[in-house]
Amino acid sequence: MQVLTTAFCLALTLGAYHLAKALNLRYRHPLLNVVLLGATFVIAALLALGIPYQAYVPGRSLMTALLGPATVGLAVPLFRNRDLLRRHAPAILAGVGLGTLTSVLSAGWLATFLALPHDIVLSLLPRSVTIPFAVEIVKLHGGSQALASAFVVATGTVGSVLGATLLTWTGVRDPVARGLALGTAAHGQGTAMAFQEGEEQGTMAGLALTLAGVTTTLLAPLLIRLLVPA
Amino acid sequence: MGKAVRIIAQIGLLALFQVLGLRLAAVAHLPIPGNVLGLLLLFLALQSGLVQLKHIQEGADFLLRHLVFFFIPVAVDLMNWGGVFRQHGFRLALVIGVGSVLTFLVTGHASQWLQRRNQPCKS
Repeated sequence: MQVLTTAFCLALTLGAYHLAKALNLRYRHPLLNVVLLGATFVIAALLALGIPYQAYVPGRSLMTALLGPATVGLAVPLFRNRDLLRRHAPAILAGVGLGTLTSVLSAGWLATFLALPHDIVLSLLPRSVTIPFAVEIVKLHGGSQALASAFVVATGTVGSVLGATLLTWTGVRDPVARGLALGTAAHGQGTAMAFQEGEEQGTMAGLALTLAGVTTTLLAPLLIRLLVPA
Repeated sequence: MGKAVRIIAQIGLLALFQVLGLRLAAVAHLPIPGNVLGLLLLFLALQSGLVQLKHIQEGADFLLRHLVFFFIPVAVDLMNWGGVFRQHGFRLALVIGVGSVLTFLVTGHASQWLQRRNQPCKS
């Protein structure tokens, strides 16, 4: 019975993924986010069929087991574009470094100022990096994996709806700078928007997504001690 | 070797780097996740020629093409957290909105400034 339920949960999630992706490709709207849409389909199906969350957990562990190797695989595009990294090193280091600091510090200070509970503040800190980095950060330093993922998706959605316009309004026209901003501030969702602007913007966004994830992970122990004294 | 077998074997190699990263973090008492150390180790291995792109890229590209799929089961946990959004929704939106604007402005302007300083001939 357990095996059947797990197999059903796998099939359900795969189906939800393909449906969400098809809708996203058809309408190309940033609000039709594949993660959010896919999870909504799965949750709706579980609720409709009266399957409790606990029954979904074994399938969840099976599926997320590949998240680790996938994150390791981000080294491949980084290595393929190593010449580009070297050529734009100053802009990349400054943009991604300062952007990462801004993202974590602004979330920490604002959330503390607004008196949000401790575990929510911790879950908000990695909101600009892609989900596998964010999940590992909250696993190590506290917070909720689900909330952190939701905040990541919310940040990516805001960034992909407003980011490009905001950059244009404030006079950021350089394609490298636009790509770096989209990837640092809005991870994979921002990268998708950057690829719609052009190849150079998209590639830079993809590099920024990985580098911002690594930077945030490395700075997290220090920043968390600073922002959320235990 | 068939394509599917190659992809599976290469995912195994990626998983091996993740395990190496986990072991290194445990041995050296580093507060860094294993997958991130694994990413850095793989980059070094590629840089040094110890691992070549052909050993790894089909597996990596396959996983990265479907990366979003693996996020869905994580997000399904949200069914346990509805109350948080009802209770704190406005403040959360404020943190995420204001924080995003600041991050875009800082990253965009800092990198554009350095791009122009370093390549004055281009612009």
